[in-house]
Amino acid sequence: MAAAIAASLPAPQAAPTPAAPTYEAIPASMSKAIDLEADIPLTSVQLDGMVVSKIIKHAREAQGTSAHGMLLGLDLDGTLEVSNCFPLPHHLGDDEDKSAKGLARYQTSMLRSLKEVQADDNVVGFYQAMSLGSFYNQSLVDTQAIQQERLRHGGIILVHDITRTARGNASFRAFRLTRAFLDAYKRNNFSADSLISHRLTFSSILEEIPIKIRTNPLLGAFLETLSEQSPFPVSNSHPASSQASVALPPSFSVLNLGTSSVTKNLEQIIEAMDAYKTEEGNIAYNQRQIAREKTKADAYVVKRKEDNAVRVSQGLAPLPEEDISRLFRIPPEPSRLESMMLLGRIDSYSKTLEETSSAGLVKMYAARGTANV
Amino acid sequence: MPLAHASSAVHAQNATPGFLANPGRAPTSVTVHPVALFTILDHYLRRTDAQERVIGTLLGTRADTGEIEVKSAFAVLHSETAEQVAVDMEYHHAMYELHHKVNPKEVIVGWYSTGSNLNTYSALIQNFYSQETAPHQAVHLALNTGAEGGEGAGVKAYISSPVGVSPKPENCVFTPIPCELTFKEAERSGLDLLTSVAQGSTDPYPAADLDILERALDTVSNMLDRVLSYVRSVLAGEVKGDAAVGRYLMNTFGASTEDLDKGSFNASLQDTLMVSYLANLVRSQAQVSSRLALTRAS
Repeated sequence: MAAAIAASLPAPQAAPTPAAPTYEAIPASMSKAIDLEADIPLTSVQLDGMVVSKIIKHAREAQGTSAHGMLLGLDLDGTLEVSNCFPLPHHLGDDEDKSAKGLARYQTSMLRSLKEVQADDNVVGFYQAMSLGSFYNQSLVDTQAIQQERLRHGGIILVHDITRTARGNASFRAFRLTRAFLDAYKRNNFSADSLISHRLTFSSILEEIPIKIRTNPLLGAFLETLSEQSPFPVSNSHPASSQASVALPPSFSVLNLGTSSVTKNLEQIIEAMDAYKTEEGNIAYNQRQIAREKTKADAYVVKRKEDNAVRVSQGLAPLPEEDISRLFRIPPEPSRLESMMLLGRIDSYSKTLEETSSAGLVKMYAARGTANV
Repeated sequence: MPLAHASSAVHAQNATPGFLANPGRAPTSVTVHPVALFTILDHYLRRTDAQERVIGTLLGTRADTGEIEVKSAFAVLHSETAEQVAVDMEYHHAMYELHHKVNPKEVIVGWYSTGSNLNTYSALIQNFYSQETAPHQAVHLALNTGAEGGEGAGVKAYISSPVGVSPKPENCVFTPIPCELTFKEAERSGLDLLTSVAQGSTDPYPAADLDILERALDTVSNMLDRVLSYVRSVLAGEVKGDAAVGRYLMNTFGASTEDLDKGSFNASLQDTLMVSYLANLVRSQAQVSSRLALTRAS
């Protein structure tokens, strides 16, 4: 019997000569589900119970909506099974370059470590916490577009709404970028024409993928034990004793009348609208600038033509046609991506507000009913 | 919220402050966050055939009162044979570094293992973790997965103290301390979701707010029925009334509803309707605006 603990795992005894791996034929039932080239499109996302609780914990503990991390798992026959996740640190270093490197190093070592304990180490996407239903922002889309090339199926974005979860409805939604948006993004062109040809509005940047929640049987059984109610007939019972030792007593936070988040929600909408107005002003200014430069250039061309006509009629050699783009600097057409994102933000904020107030209305009438009895 | 069936074990506090070799208060109780539990269960599912149990490190915070809050956990490689036990300490340190980057507040508080047998190897591992958590004591969380016959699922927490005339690392006494499940109210809905899935509910996800409200109201209604039947049976003289229950009922149902009188209800109703109207207005404006951006000026 050893009296001390070994500091590292014993080396495997005399590693047997690695036999040539034998490949078994893929059974016919599975051959349809196996796709090496990621040909089968994703139709749904399946979240493991552990992932759900990990994300909720991380989102609550991180300040604001800064919580984000990576999702690990596998895809099988159109269902993306997310079986694990890990959070990414918020601030690693001071300067941009260092922190990006540190982040990459963090990711690789985390993935290697997870692999060692037989956990999945295949990155399938990101998760991001949000509040009040709004998650459109440029950095999210940027990260996702960069990952698009590297991940199978381009990776998914899982967004988790903190405020909705606090209100009693755990909210997770999965998205991926649409083809049209990716195309426009690759060309780095979000001018009005490009938007029209790609038919892009804020609602067509991302497409939603339905989510399923799954608890493995072991977890299910454990939860069952935790929330086990002592079998209890309704009649002839003593209410006090029904609160037997239950690790998960029922919760009624949904019934809270509180409308405290409404003020914040309204403020957010107003903020987003102000930002949108500024952005619109910028775009309008840019467009006026473009129009002015264009008129100048056109006037110049017309004048040069008239001059030349005069010179020709006088028998002189015409002046050379000059490159107008050198003389007049026509600014590039403004990108409308930011304003589109802002519209998306306004839309989701107001959608949340609408949902809160309609649920609040029901609760108010319910409360009045109780008060009148 | 106890995590295991009540045991007859006395939660003996062997730690008299100032009497111990190591400073700091000995842990008096342990609270466990669901994430840690779920991680342990997942690790257990992913073990290799050769492993009978899995171990890992617990991260969390210590309060001055001796209460330890286990907030998360990660798996650690280890192997047990008849001759020796080995823990991959390098892996443990590397993983702790990684976790520390994301969550600097969480420190090593102890270790977990699955199954409920405490043997010599447990003592050795406990000894190792005590060095990691020094000067504080390490806690040991034994999680019974309930997968083995005859034992129910549950979690027990232990602290250790040396035993014998000349204490050796492979000998120690594991003293049970109380262990509870804890989480913030905001995380409650996530657990509710998992519980409903575990119970085989086929409700579509995501659920609408009103559906959840309806479920909660149903539960309340059931509870009221139960209380009503109890009160009726007390009034009929079938059951002897409990004064404590009566007082609770009095407090609950006597709650003031004066702020819901006519005037303020209507004002509040108007506010809510107004907000709802505004929200819809803003939304349709946003939609129109995004469509307008797609039209060519002609």
